[in-house]
Amino acid sequence: MIIQIDMAADIPIYQQIRNQIVLGVATGQMKAGDPLPTVRQLAGEIGINPMTVSKAYGLLKGEGVIAMDRRNGAQIHSLPVEGDAMDLDFDQRLTLLISEARIKGASGQELKERVIQLMNRVYEMKEVLS
Amino acid sequence: MILFLLIVLWLVFGVMTASSLLFREYQNHQILGVTLSKAHSRHPEIKGTIAFFTKACYVVLIVSVGCSFLLLIPVIGGFAEFVMLVLIALNLFVNWIVIGHFQKILIQIKEKNDWVYQKTKEENIITADLDVARETGKSSISSAWVWLFLLLSFIPTLFLLFHPDKRELYPIGLSLIGPLCQALMVSLYYQMRSLHSRMADGRAGVHPSFAQREERINSISATFSALAMLVFWLLFNLSMLLLYVKNSLFILVPVILLIAALLGIAQWQQSKMRGLQEACSDDSSDGKESIQEQQNRWKWGVYHNPNDPRIFVPRRVTGMGWTINAGRPAGKLLYFGTGILILLIIGLVAFGGARDYQVTVQDSNIHIDAAMYDMTIKRDQVVSISTTDQLPGGTRTNGYGGANKSFGHFNMEGYGKCMMYIYNHVDQYIVVQLKGSDPGYVILNDKTPEKTKDLHRTIDRWLSGK
Repeated sequence: MIIQIDMAADIPIYQQIRNQIVLGVATGQMKAGDPLPTVRQLAGEIGINPMTVSKAYGLLKGEGVIAMDRRNGAQIHSLPVEGDAMDLDFDQRLTLLISEARIKGASGQELKERVIQLMNRVYEMKEVLS
Repeated sequence: MILFLLIVLWLVFGVMTASSLLFREYQNHQILGVTLSKAHSRHPEIKGTIAFFTKACYVVLIVSVGCSFLLLIPVIGGFAEFVMLVLIALNLFVNWIVIGHFQKILIQIKEKNDWVYQKTKEENIITADLDVARETGKSSISSAWVWLFLLLSFIPTLFLLFHPDKRELYPIGLSLIGPLCQALMVSLYYQMRSLHSRMADGRAGVHPSFAQREERINSISATFSALAMLVFWLLFNLSMLLLYVKNSLFILVPVILLIAALLGIAQWQQSKMRGLQEACSDDSSDGKESIQEQQNRWKWGVYHNPNDPRIFVPRRVTGMGWTINAGRPAGKLLYFGTGILILLIIGLVAFGGARDYQVTVQDSNIHIDAAMYDMTIKRDQVVSISTTDQLPGGTRTNGYGGANKSFGHFNMEGYGKCMMYIYNHVDQYIVVQLKGSDPGYVILNDKTPEKTKDLHRTIDRWLSGK
């Protein structure tokens, strides 16, 4: 799987790595049991400090997306990840995104169409890949 | 001495030409730093331009070598070291102009034929393939070899530790230069091992098997470069410490061997990588393959990429060592520091080469005014004074050794530690023996044998006046 890191973005690099791996898992580009490169390998490939990759892996491990052990290194955890998908945090983040779109002038209909489009992109890609 | 300078000059010119010629090869979808698809790189116009570029490189080499013979003209030979530095700078500049000129021609051919490739989406985006990253370090030659070479490079230091008498020929501090260079080779190994080519369409994704083979080629060339450096270092020390070579030309043998080995390794690495890219690419392409316009990161002959976090990056011709990323603040600082250092060296060479010694005989002392190596001799320090027309062999421990003049601290057979202020072409020397052994003697002469005799008489009168 290919990840793209924007070095000039406001989003921290560890967050970008975490987001891309989450996206890769959700779209089926990475499957349960797929090994990830070691912290040093990925840091060397991107050209960043290993601590940054370590922070991203730490986040992913905390969220249950990846599992880490000394023998096999980091690998994608078996899905679905434990936890409530529609928890308070989800509602708050989505509400905020919808609010931001509304104050920028998006209509309810436009928002619905866009959300469905994006949902299809994630779910359908997974179906194609599987 | 002039022959020594000439050989050094020819070596520099040769290396510059070889690296320019290696840069013309199609690699990483570029020729001379200009993005071209594989099919377009075989276009007759491109081939003709590259053939012309090759000829231009050889012309620059021949003209540079021709100019080097200026050093043999007596008037110019007086400033041999300074002229040598100017010729090197001119050669670098002309090579840079030639590369820039042919880059423009290649871009014009691209525009004329409407060879438009996709523009890079974002300069700041770095792509990485997780599958490729996972293979890093698995297919390379073991790093144990480069670490072993680093350990072996300490042999001269150990030798000097157990043979203090040899330290007069060769200070122990200098023996650490080899391990330092070897440590850089260790870093080069790790850099080259994790160096993965980008795909033609700009994605980082390369097939893991391609990455494995690439890693093997890169690690082999880095390991052999480290071996070449070690062999150079041991040969150099062998000639300095054990064989005690008086002929400075012999010192050039390890240098020539090292340069030849590094060029050979770079050539091997490039040809292997080209073969690998050929094998892994689709040969049926008609030139419309979806390659991406790669930004030329080389400005003014130096690597400049603010988005590349590395400070040290492999050269344009990988395998020939490193260069500094001028796009990073630390890189800018390093370039600035190196520039100051080079200017300082040029200044010192010019100052030392252009300035004559001034020997002033005063009432109670003799003052020798020489760039950075002034000396005052008091009358009661002098044991005896004599003349000789032949100097024994010896080494310069700290001083200036130019084509015309040699001055500073020397260690001479039969004399031990001494200060010298001599014009090399005058075979008449005044030897002043001093009390003590550091320095035990001061050896000097003037610009002609007659003037040297006059100076001897003056010093003799001064000494007998006590």
